[in-house]
Amino acid sequence: MTAAVSESRVRLPAPARARKAKRRVDTRAAGYLFLLPWLVGFFFLTLGPTLSSLYLSFTDFNLLQPPRWIGAQNYVRMLSADPRFVGAVEVTLLYVVLSVPAKLAFALGIALLLDKGIRGLTVYRALFYLPSLLGASVAIAVLWRQIFSADGIVNAVLGVFGVAGMSWISNPGTAIYTLVLLSVWQFGSPMIIFLAGLRQIPQDLYEAASMDGASKWRQFRRITLPLLAPVIFFNLVLQTIDAFKAFTPAFIISGGTGGPIDSTLFYTLYLYEEGFGNFRMGYASAMAWVLLIAIAAFTAAAFVTSKYWVFYEDDGKR
Amino acid sequence: MSTRAARRRFLVHGAALGSGLVLPTMAAKAAEVRMRAVWWGGQDRARRTNEAIQIFEKQRPDLKIATESTAWADYWTKVATLVAGGNAPDMLQMDYRYIVEYARRGTLLPLDAYIPRLLDIQDFGANNLDSCRVDGKLYGVNLGINSTATFVDTAAFAKAGLPLPTYAWTWDDLRRVSAEITKSRGKGFWGCMDSGGGEPALEVFARQNGKDLYTADGKLGVDVELTTAWLDYWQSMRKVNACVPPDVQALDKGSTDSAMLVLGKAAIDLRHSNFLEGFQLAHKEKLAITMYPQTKGGKWGQYIKPSQMMSVAATTKNAELAVSLSNFLVKDPAGTKVLGIERGVPASPAVRKLLAPDLNDVGRAMVDYIALITDKVSPLPPAPPTGAGEIQKLLNRQNQKVGFGQATPSAAAKEFVEESKRILGA
Repeated sequence: MTAAVSESRVRLPAPARARKAKRRVDTRAAGYLFLLPWLVGFFFLTLGPTLSSLYLSFTDFNLLQPPRWIGAQNYVRMLSADPRFVGAVEVTLLYVVLSVPAKLAFALGIALLLDKGIRGLTVYRALFYLPSLLGASVAIAVLWRQIFSADGIVNAVLGVFGVAGMSWISNPGTAIYTLVLLSVWQFGSPMIIFLAGLRQIPQDLYEAASMDGASKWRQFRRITLPLLAPVIFFNLVLQTIDAFKAFTPAFIISGGTGGPIDSTLFYTLYLYEEGFGNFRMGYASAMAWVLLIAIAAFTAAAFVTSKYWVFYEDDGKR
Repeated sequence: MSTRAARRRFLVHGAALGSGLVLPTMAAKAAEVRMRAVWWGGQDRARRTNEAIQIFEKQRPDLKIATESTAWADYWTKVATLVAGGNAPDMLQMDYRYIVEYARRGTLLPLDAYIPRLLDIQDFGANNLDSCRVDGKLYGVNLGINSTATFVDTAAFAKAGLPLPTYAWTWDDLRRVSAEITKSRGKGFWGCMDSGGGEPALEVFARQNGKDLYTADGKLGVDVELTTAWLDYWQSMRKVNACVPPDVQALDKGSTDSAMLVLGKAAIDLRHSNFLEGFQLAHKEKLAITMYPQTKGGKWGQYIKPSQMMSVAATTKNAELAVSLSNFLVKDPAGTKVLGIERGVPASPAVRKLLAPDLNDVGRAMVDYIALITDKVSPLPPAPPTGAGEIQKLLNRQNQKVGFGQATPSAAAKEFVEESKRILGA
């Protein structure tokens, strides 16, 4: 990745430019080749269930009896007569709005520290990435339960300072924030991507800036952030989609209930409960489609607005 | 740019594909008879059941029975998915809550025709057979009987200088002794769990007051007034520190290992009698068992029900074998000795007599408890309607709202009744 980009910054003689164009076609073919496993999976495994869930979303289906066509009733109920649906949307939006920026800021901060060229970088990188590998696992969610429960580590530490803690994960006012923290803690994969992005920013820009007397903060705002914009954009889109789809932590930490009092009832958790707990598969399918549309709409909006804040240096005319 | 994008997209979707991989299953050998049995329950149950099934398998060398067990919370999801996919297991453990739904939808095989040739269970008595019938047909084999029961930590009572409760104790007694136990102990230990969100407890309370939780035609049987009284009672428990605070109770997932009593946070737990053995295994102090508290001047609220049943899928290709195995589990000494009373007290008097000499203290306490309450219970209520599982969770949420100060008992009760009616489609 680094090689390809730095090459593009050098003015190449004409024959080399032609070679480069040919390579671009090759890489495109290679790209599709790499996509092939996904495409096969999509067409042979995912597409069928996806389409049948679209059909089921217009039916009343309790798993035991054949689905019964009820038109748009599921969608009508969702948008007009289901207070728990509204609650789940609110909880999910709060989670997205809090966790995504916090996680990205944290990931960028750590990436900036690591980019200083400290010794043992690979070790640190692996260490910081570790939570992301573990984070989605059940074990970590269980561990989180322990850390934030009434007699968990957090309260033990608070106790040292004379602060009486509470059971953070089972209090309707605080439970969602422990989930946000868990999400921020899994900053590894955006961090790795930020780090790669930072490595691509030419050092001579910083050298020139500091010769002109620009402060570190000014350099960060005027050089790092603009040049990192494509990477920030990429991370933002991916992390937001992930946050909308978050399920496991809330499921484990709330014992599958989304409790207490629905304070951690993520959209996906409610979808699961309606489908598999209350046997309203039709309604759950409709919810899945609404989520898909919401995520697609967000992603589209992100791409539209990106014109105004994301600049790609290798095709400067955008 | 294109390389960069392609590589990133590959990373993302590669992970998605990995989770979708399916391993091919081994083809069955033609000569073998294969069956599947599923149940919910803990490790001890799985160990006993698998052992019993292995003994049954040995009688027929060509028979291979695959078994699977899950926790209660995941079980109904799994079974519904299997049935919907046309993969119903030959034998499935059933609960009183779900049998009507499954039987009326034609999922289960009526078993009457197999009595007594393959299914020798007439000695269960009319009550224990009728409790497994739907619309007059037998759809399950009673695996053990139980009832609601209070478990108490005897050491905590001794420490507080209190006598153990008897079956005649009242809800007021529960509050009084619980508050005293809390007072007698340090931080982090309370008298009783918070059972305001417990559906079985509300049901017993309602029946003591002459109401059923659900009527025979599947409507909610309790009104706002009664529900308010119930939620109010538990708020009064919280006010005098008689029960655990709501943020502690919220950690209880309904499983043995997360129960307040087992976690050492409370001395009193409202459960079902067949849990006694599991609770005792997980608790270092001796536990005692008694009835739920009574309502002064009220009726008997508890009832005896099948704790579990074994049902046979209507789609099974080996009905006779499945029925024989069911019979083996509840009547054949080779099977019943292995299963013991882990699923509740056996419905067959002959089996009870057979097991009696081998019972430990806990087992004897459980059997004695069922004997004690037999004349202090009222008839089995109608089976709960579709949606009862949802209402169970609704009750828990409303109780939490009161506990966390987000609603008054009367407001929470009103919401409970209104939401329940919506769920039941009335």
